[in-house]
Amino acid sequence: MIVEDITETGVDECDLHGSSSDHSEVHSNDSSATLGTLPGEFVGRRWRVFWMAFKFGIYTILTLGFYRFWMKTRLRRWYWSSVRFGGHPFEYVGDPLEKLLGFLIAVVILAFYICVVNLALMFASFSLFQGDFPAYLLSFLGVVPLWLFAAYRARRYVLARTRWRGIRFSLDPGAWGYVYRALWHWTLTLVSFGVLWPRKTFWLEKYKTDRTSFGSAPLEQHGCWRILFIPFLQVLIPAMCGVALIIWIGETGHFQGVEIGLSCILLFWFGFGVVHYQVQAKRRLTELKSVGEASLTINPSVTVVLRIYILGYGLSGITALIILVPILVIAFSTLDLVDVNLRLYPEISAVLSTWGLTVIGIASYFGLFLMWSALTHAFVTMPLWRHYASVCELRDTETFSVVTQRPRDAFQEAEGFAEALDVGAGI
Amino acid sequence: MSSVIPTVIRVGARPAQLDALGTYFNGESAEAKSVTLHIDECAKALVIKWDGGKVNWLLAQIQLVPDQADQDQLLMANQIHPLARLITDEKLIALRCPNLHRSVVQVNKWRILTWALAAVMAVALIIFVLVPRIADNLADLMPPNGEQALGAATLGHIRGALDQSGTGLSFCTHEAGRNVLNNLTVRLTPGQSLPGLLTVHVLNHDMVNAFALPGGQIVVFRGLIEVAETPEELVAVIAHEIGHVVSRDPTRHALRSAGSIGVLGLLFGDFAGGALLLFLAEQLIEARYSQTAETEADSFAHQILIQIHVSPASLGDMFQRFLQKYGEDEGVMSHFVSHPEMIERIEAARAAVPTNFQPRDLLEVSEWRALKNICS
Repeated sequence: MIVEDITETGVDECDLHGSSSDHSEVHSNDSSATLGTLPGEFVGRRWRVFWMAFKFGIYTILTLGFYRFWMKTRLRRWYWSSVRFGGHPFEYVGDPLEKLLGFLIAVVILAFYICVVNLALMFASFSLFQGDFPAYLLSFLGVVPLWLFAAYRARRYVLARTRWRGIRFSLDPGAWGYVYRALWHWTLTLVSFGVLWPRKTFWLEKYKTDRTSFGSAPLEQHGCWRILFIPFLQVLIPAMCGVALIIWIGETGHFQGVEIGLSCILLFWFGFGVVHYQVQAKRRLTELKSVGEASLTINPSVTVVLRIYILGYGLSGITALIILVPILVIAFSTLDLVDVNLRLYPEISAVLSTWGLTVIGIASYFGLFLMWSALTHAFVTMPLWRHYASVCELRDTETFSVVTQRPRDAFQEAEGFAEALDVGAGI
Repeated sequence: MSSVIPTVIRVGARPAQLDALGTYFNGESAEAKSVTLHIDECAKALVIKWDGGKVNWLLAQIQLVPDQADQDQLLMANQIHPLARLITDEKLIALRCPNLHRSVVQVNKWRILTWALAAVMAVALIIFVLVPRIADNLADLMPPNGEQALGAATLGHIRGALDQSGTGLSFCTHEAGRNVLNNLTVRLTPGQSLPGLLTVHVLNHDMVNAFALPGGQIVVFRGLIEVAETPEELVAVIAHEIGHVVSRDPTRHALRSAGSIGVLGLLFGDFAGGALLLFLAEQLIEARYSQTAETEADSFAHQILIQIHVSPASLGDMFQRFLQKYGEDEGVMSHFVSHPEMIERIEAARAAVPTNFQPRDLLEVSEWRALKNICS
């Protein structure tokens, strides 16, 4: 039943090469194509977002977390306004107070559920199974539908608060439809040992895209899931080889030069494959989307994305590690385990009283979060946005001037559920 | 574009007239209108003109959309037409608009207050009423083997957390010492209705502490045995922990945290210090329950000590040693240990000694020596 429902719109319009080659042919011969073509660009500067993330992070800590609603709103305004098509920036019009309100509503609703369910599971798990594992497993499984629900609702809120050229975007209601489809596709993915992952990617993206509109212009996802299968081979092959290698090692007990070398190669290949799939899926899915009569082209580079990930996370990670050193020292000394180490440096332990250590520990604990968040914004999120925006183009936009406004989606709970359940949607 | 229509700008605090270019979106269609801008001094308005139309924005109603990435241009909105937008790189216009940074509150503040109150009440109700009630009831319903498993899981976590090597902290099981400890345990539990078996473990760690776990498991650290100067002091602490076991405090505690951690996690989840705040809040809430639980376990210990002819004051003596041990250190521990409650508990222990009370020796000297060497 579910299968039928999901494939109801699954008209097979598969173009296994995944690119909208027919569109581009039309345009290369059409001299007026450039008129309706709006190139994407990203105008935000790196250090601005670094300082914004750092400063707002400090405010968040000082307000015991309450500033996070403002932080999210202000960073989104900045990111949205950085992305432009044809020189016209996007605008994020979400309100921090509505996020706070949504969060409070979600807390009231979820608090009872979470407390009763957790207690009941803990009790049942120990009474019936004499262990806590079933409780953790069940409470995780119980939260998965909620998590998917929250993710869809958060997307709906964000789109409802996104405008371009003064016109609102929207996502139709349908969170529960999304939940049961997502659960079904996740089940298929798990049962098929991951082989059907691209099918999940495609159908969930289609579900979301087909319910999205820009004003009066609906978005549509064309194509079929098999276009994602070829890029997915770069994930699948190393993963399968990895499983085979593990079985081989388990059978023979050999884990020496050749096996270590092979596992390193497979690990790198797998990592590359994941990024490659992410980029290629984005490319193929975007090129097969339409906005009213307009279409999109995008040509992201796997190398660039890979470089951003490696350099960005590398830099953030190294900085975090440096900040982590004092925390580790404090952690060990409060656990009474570092006596040996501190005795080696009596001058240090003499200078630093326990209170001093505590202060340094707390400061570097927060410093770690602050630096990590600011650096990943400046060296991962922002460069990724810049790359994707600058290789994207909107085509056939002549009809955009007749796109009309749509009514406001009040959506009072905003992204409260996502906030409470930590569905952290990037930014 | 500026070559088509010349821009005349008079620089100064009050530029009299301004002719500038911009893009206007009316908020009804996605059409981007190229417009010229000038200020109508009589009407105190910005006149936005395009081919075949114009609109006036009162200067006092113009607002700037904040946090824009492109700082070379202005994105302006109008209070009266909240959907319309004007983009211009003529930044001097900003000088003429008095209310550029006035924010419009879209959300009713009373609604926020109401829901904030509801959220605080809900969380308070859950953490201080609902969770403890349910935990109390479930603790009594939990079968003994369930409690034992809960205790074993917690003990495993503690052993793992306190040990650097990752193999877990070892138990002290020297035979002679173990025998003395077992005898003492039996003497301490005459006719007590315990929720299952009672086991006293000694963990090889120099922390001066002891605690009770669900399922009648009591853990004493080597440090405590070393600090105790008489067997009576040690036994007093064990008696106190038995008090916890009898009232099933550890089981309640475990269930309470299972219920409240998730709820607190909702509040503090997604931000930097979240985990730290979560931990502190848990501690504060537990402190509220532990005070009454400690007092009850103390009076339980007083009674049981009198039954086996040990002075309840021994418990006070042991607390005194905690104070001496940690009171000298500057630090977080001393703050908790030297809390006035500790002094009160010492006094209560001394006050619990009946008049004409004749204590008897609990252990032979050799037995005490064996117990002291249980970790050797």
